[in-house]
Amino acid sequence: MFAKDSGLLQGTVELLVLKTLSWGPMHGYGIASWIESATDDALSVEEGSLYPALYRMSRKGWIKAQWRVTENNRRAKYYHLTAEGRRQFRDQTTGWQRFATAVSQAVATKTAPSWAK
Amino acid sequence: MTDHKRRDSSSHDVGFMPKKPSAEVESELQFHLEQRIQANLAKGMSPDAARRAALERFGDVEDVRDECAQLLTEDRRAEARRDWLDDLRRDVRFALRSALRAPLFSALAVATLALGIGANAAVFGTVKSVLLDALPYGNADRLMRIYSPFGKGDQARGALSAGTVSDIRERQHSFESLAAFLGSRDGILLGDQAQIVKAMFIEPGLLHTLGISPVRGAGFRDDDANHDTTTVVMISYGAWQRLFGGKEDVVGKVVRLNGISRTIVGITPRGFVPPQDDADFFQPLAMAPLMRDPVSVRGSHNFAFVGLLKPGVTPQMANRDMNAIGAEIERLFWKDNRGFGLIAMPLRDSMVGDTRAPLLILLASAALVLLIMCANLAGALLSRTISRRKEFAVRVALGAGRGRLVRQLLTESVLLSAVGGAAGLALAMFGLRLLRRLALTSLPTYASLSLDTGAIIVTSTLALLTGLAFGAGPAISVGKSDPQGTLRDESHGSSESRRTRRVRGVLVAGQIALCVSLLAAAGLLARSLWTITAAPLGFDTQHLLTFTLQLPNAKYPTVDSRVRLHDQIEDAIRALPGVNNVAFTSHFPTKVTNRNGFFIETAPWGSNQSVPFITTARVTDNYFKTLSIPLLEGRVFSTVDRANAPPVLIINEAMARKYWPKGDALGARVHVGPPDPTAPWITIVGIVKDMRNDPTSLAPEPMMFFSQRQQPFGDNVIIRTAGDPTSLAAAVRRTIAAIDPGLPMYNVGTLDDVVSTTFAPRRLPVVLMAAFGALALLLASVGVYAMFATMAASREREIGVRIALGATRREIASLILRQGGVWMLAGLAIGGIGVVFVGRFLRSELFGVPELDPLAIGAAVAVLIVCAGLALLVPIRRATRVDPIMVLR
Repeated sequence: MFAKDSGLLQGTVELLVLKTLSWGPMHGYGIASWIESATDDALSVEEGSLYPALYRMSRKGWIKAQWRVTENNRRAKYYHLTAEGRRQFRDQTTGWQRFATAVSQAVATKTAPSWAK
Repeated sequence: MTDHKRRDSSSHDVGFMPKKPSAEVESELQFHLEQRIQANLAKGMSPDAARRAALERFGDVEDVRDECAQLLTEDRRAEARRDWLDDLRRDVRFALRSALRAPLFSALAVATLALGIGANAAVFGTVKSVLLDALPYGNADRLMRIYSPFGKGDQARGALSAGTVSDIRERQHSFESLAAFLGSRDGILLGDQAQIVKAMFIEPGLLHTLGISPVRGAGFRDDDANHDTTTVVMISYGAWQRLFGGKEDVVGKVVRLNGISRTIVGITPRGFVPPQDDADFFQPLAMAPLMRDPVSVRGSHNFAFVGLLKPGVTPQMANRDMNAIGAEIERLFWKDNRGFGLIAMPLRDSMVGDTRAPLLILLASAALVLLIMCANLAGALLSRTISRRKEFAVRVALGAGRGRLVRQLLTESVLLSAVGGAAGLALAMFGLRLLRRLALTSLPTYASLSLDTGAIIVTSTLALLTGLAFGAGPAISVGKSDPQGTLRDESHGSSESRRTRRVRGVLVAGQIALCVSLLAAAGLLARSLWTITAAPLGFDTQHLLTFTLQLPNAKYPTVDSRVRLHDQIEDAIRALPGVNNVAFTSHFPTKVTNRNGFFIETAPWGSNQSVPFITTARVTDNYFKTLSIPLLEGRVFSTVDRANAPPVLIINEAMARKYWPKGDALGARVHVGPPDPTAPWITIVGIVKDMRNDPTSLAPEPMMFFSQRQQPFGDNVIIRTAGDPTSLAAAVRRTIAAIDPGLPMYNVGTLDDVVSTTFAPRRLPVVLMAAFGALALLLASVGVYAMFATMAASREREIGVRIALGATRREIASLILRQGGVWMLAGLAIGGIGVVFVGRFLRSELFGVPELDPLAIGAAVAVLIVCAGLALLVPIRRATRVDPIMVLR
């Protein structure tokens, strides 16, 4: 899904995980599935690459893991946002939006610069 | 959010979470794959296809697992560290809080630790700088001092004659190099103003032998000493700073020392002190000219001699070498060297000198105080733990691990000892400053009394070990305690078990035993000091002004010129109002170091007898009258004893009785000093009453006195005044300046001051020992108080019952007293054994007092019993006032 060489920025993966967990605690499989469906599977890469990202985020203190029982009575490791994670989510969302707007605005521009022939 | 929390705790099952990181990652990934397979199956794939698709979608499982496992391992480690620090922070905070909750206990513990550690750090700093630190010489380890003993006491460290120095050089095979020097003397440095300086003659090779090179200038050349009038001089670092302002151009400068112009050729390094005395100026010493004088070459024993051992030669070998040479010289030069031997001892031993025993005594006392301190703290912590047993039981019941609890207690102890240790170091610095003032004259010159890093390391280790040692006891007892029993059995919650009571009893007994020993030591030393200072000196020290003059040789070269000046000064001073009498002497009373051999005309010493050496001073006519020393027989010196008149001698009673037991001393004729057969016989013209010279000896020693009219050397002046002696100093100074303005006058004081400096080295151990004794007494009293207080408190309920049943106060008091008194008696009994050891240990420092002086030991025991009695009064009083209704409710 998000291999290191997939061209996706590391920060993008983290922002997507933060977004997923902003709905509530979820396990790795759930996170991967939600991102796939939310992006219409457009970023389709190996799902395994999600996990190192999760562990790194745990280490940074943005998310925390806990073993729990699923609705089907299976044990699974659930991740949830910490206070710091929520703050990161807010900051990164604004940052991303500003970045995305700026880039798409530039890409969509029709007016040629003065030096263009 | 609340919902979230609740679900969290419900799922927080320890057995649920895989412990190993790799296992945890494994099951997490497993779950992912299973879920994906399920989803694929739901889409209608065959089981096989579903699995394959899931794996393909996931990517390299191995890779992901390894990476995640590693990340998780690191994470776990970081968390463990964080937890540990968190725990520590919590422990420290808790320790602080619980210390503040028992302020009396904490203050007592910190004060106890501070005193114990402070005393030890200060004493250790001193002992280290004197006994352990390297001497300020490059070759410190291989240096030996050679002495020529001719008796006991300070005669065991006799100086050598020029002949002996040369004989040793020819015969010895232990030393690489040897160098002689003379003790330092006062000299005059002429400049804008004449100054008195210390000057010392050293052989040019001395610095090289010691392993010292000058910090400025080239120093002496080996042939410097061979010029008849030496014109070169070296100065000490201190003199460079003090007399020449540390200026760089001082080497090459010409100074006028003792009337002769000399060029400064070098400066000794900072911190350098000669192996004996101290000096501002060093002059080259030539042995060769001295060898030409047939009388003094073997008759005058003046030289100090140090040698640098050859590699591989031990001090013992060198000593045997010297012993053999000494025996040979005695045989060869029988007449002069009879009774003289030769010994070599490590230079450090020679420089440490008489301070070793007092220092070791101090070290032992400080260690005893430390032991008392530990016992006291252990007792205090024991009480505190017992009174906190409930608290611990509650915490154990609430799920605190034993390990955490023990760690908590250790943290508390270490915290206390850290604070106590810091306070102790501050105290030690203060103590060292005090010690420096008290002890400056009684310690070797090279000792720099400072709290060095070594002392600090040893002391902080001591503080920490003490903390751990007395923290461990209570901690272990907590580990064993049974929370349920403690909580349920309310009445026993604060009482002590038989075992802890015994431990506490042993601790108190130990403290009392150590305390009695220390107090007895202080008492013995104090008694000894009192005995030697209270015994009459044989002269009246009051109303005596003293000072020293320096007569320049160049201006007063002859006996006549000196005698004339003495007479002139004495007459002028005697004419001053308020002056009763005045005299010159070579040495102030109690300071006579000069000794001379003597031979009686009618009874030459048998060949198997060594020559007796008698303390000798040179005095003017009015000396005995000025000091109020009565004349017993004959006459004192007078104007008839001119330089060319027959030589005369006055002796004291002790000498007359010892060498002329038949009472025929008056008129007897003797030879004094180096045996010179051509010298005229000296007649004894007077016998005076005894005076004490050696402060440690109660019995006056034999003494002889020469007339300054015949030997006018030594210009210490003593003036008997009607009123306050120091008020006359200015008038005396003016009078002397009127006679000769160029005469330096220094060391102005009173004879009381002079005598006081004589006793100073004896006073130091007494002051310190008394301080340690007081410290021990204080600590032991606190220990006794604590024991009785805890005992009484733990039996409060029982006492209440007894009072309710009609027991009298007296019965209650004797009940408590019996229980604790046993331990106190045991302590006193053990202390009795300690006192015997203390007496033996102090033997070398006791003068005029038996080792087991009943007065000193009795006083020690009495003081202890009184203090302990006061300490136990409070808890016993409280016990007898127990209100049965209150306790039994």
